[in-house]
Amino acid sequence: MCENHVINTIFTDFQRNMDMDQEIREVIRNICKDVGQISREATTLLQVIHHSDKGIMAACVKARDLFDKAREGYARLKEAVPPNDYYKYQEHWRNMTQRYCFLIALTVWLETGILATHETIAQVLGICPLERKAGFHLDIEDYLNGLLQLCSELARLAVNSVTRGDYEKPMQISKFVMELNAGFRLLNLKNDHLRKRFDVLKYDVKKIEEVVYDLSIRGLRPKPESVL
Amino acid sequence: MPGPGKHYRGNRKSGNNSGTTLASVARETATSLPADSPVLAIFKEAAYKLNERQDRHERLVKLSRDVTIESKRIIFLLHSPITKDSSENTLTEAKDRIQKLINGPIRSIGLELEFSPAHLHSRAVTAGFQEYIEARTLLSLMADKRIITYPECQKELDYFIADDDYQRPLVTMLPESDYMLGLADLTGELMRKAINSISSGDSEECFQACDVVRHLYTGYLGITGSRLLVRKLSTTRANVHKAEMAAYALRVRGGEAPAPLLLAPGPADWETPRDLSDDEGYY
Repeated sequence: MCENHVINTIFTDFQRNMDMDQEIREVIRNICKDVGQISREATTLLQVIHHSDKGIMAACVKARDLFDKAREGYARLKEAVPPNDYYKYQEHWRNMTQRYCFLIALTVWLETGILATHETIAQVLGICPLERKAGFHLDIEDYLNGLLQLCSELARLAVNSVTRGDYEKPMQISKFVMELNAGFRLLNLKNDHLRKRFDVLKYDVKKIEEVVYDLSIRGLRPKPESVL
Repeated sequence: MPGPGKHYRGNRKSGNNSGTTLASVARETATSLPADSPVLAIFKEAAYKLNERQDRHERLVKLSRDVTIESKRIIFLLHSPITKDSSENTLTEAKDRIQKLINGPIRSIGLELEFSPAHLHSRAVTAGFQEYIEARTLLSLMADKRIITYPECQKELDYFIADDDYQRPLVTMLPESDYMLGLADLTGELMRKAINSISSGDSEECFQACDVVRHLYTGYLGITGSRLLVRKLSTTRANVHKAEMAAYALRVRGGEAPAPLLLAPGPADWETPRDLSDDEGYY
């Protein structure tokens, strides 16, 4: 029966496409596993900032090496993802990319004390910052999410640097995070995952403010000139 | 989170020195930032990008809703004819309206997504596409006695923009998963058609519709690996069941009465299957 034949074709075609889709996902999953491993390595490496002042610069250098490796991984990922289907498979690398945004932003901040731009991070990962019709790029939401993670980490660093006896860093962190906080207020966030992550920011800000407050009332705060 | 300053913070709050709240500090920082601060520039750009994305999303949701409404009306239209003569007119009108959909909202969706990644907004338009496919396949089934395939559907959405300064081809990308989901909805319409055809006395149509539903269901059973389809499978199963019951009732009891009799008092006899008729409102 002809009807039957057409329906059969529809379903076999669909099944074939589904299988192809699964294969692509498999490849992507494997690459992401490797690249994700590197990101965990870098995270562990950068934890040194919480207990040793001297280790920071060395850790940054090592982290840079890891980012180079990650860039190779992203190059492979770029190959594996069909140009038009970035957002179809995004869930596979979303967390990982956010993690990298955080790590790179942290490294850049430790090195220079400035905020890494979207373009800078995309460049470190060797991908395009622009969202176009086709091609692999760095999603702006992932970038912003990485910055929010950075704020949480800096809040922790503020506490730990005081423990170490460094009273200057919290001031620097406070200024930086306040700027970011002001920046995030410019964004018109919908009730999505980014918004939920943004809601954490105020607790980070609060934590940093408490550190600054503690230092201020005890007169431990460095002289304003030295901060500015 | 026992912060180091917990105790003192408590003091500060109870003291009369509570003028500097966190929000006011944040506001101060924001206003004290120079207008050309690089951080603010970064965020202004990000805000612009995010807003653009959200606006586009909203526009697409709206277009998708337009497509949904019109598709539902077309389906309703396709269900309405009772006699053979009126069905000719109905089909022409339905074809006309489908064409208007293709050249109207669906084309706008394509224009809207022309420079954006294809899957970024797929969630905004999936509902409209599914309903459109439901209408489109029902029409093809009634007009040509065959179900239009995915490549054919996609091909209908190829445009050529000629009215602008620069001419270019344009494609509204129709995801295959939406096609399959729309096709699953088609079983519901066919079930309804099978039952309606009993009351209109067209037993041949009832059996045909029942057959198609059964084939579709068989096809869906063989598909693995799609979560969305699995969710629709139970509805599809219910539709098959209802359509088969309708065919059964027609065969068993239909023989007892001559065809003309079935025309008028039909509904009273088939009360049960009619009540089973599912869910979707016409509008």
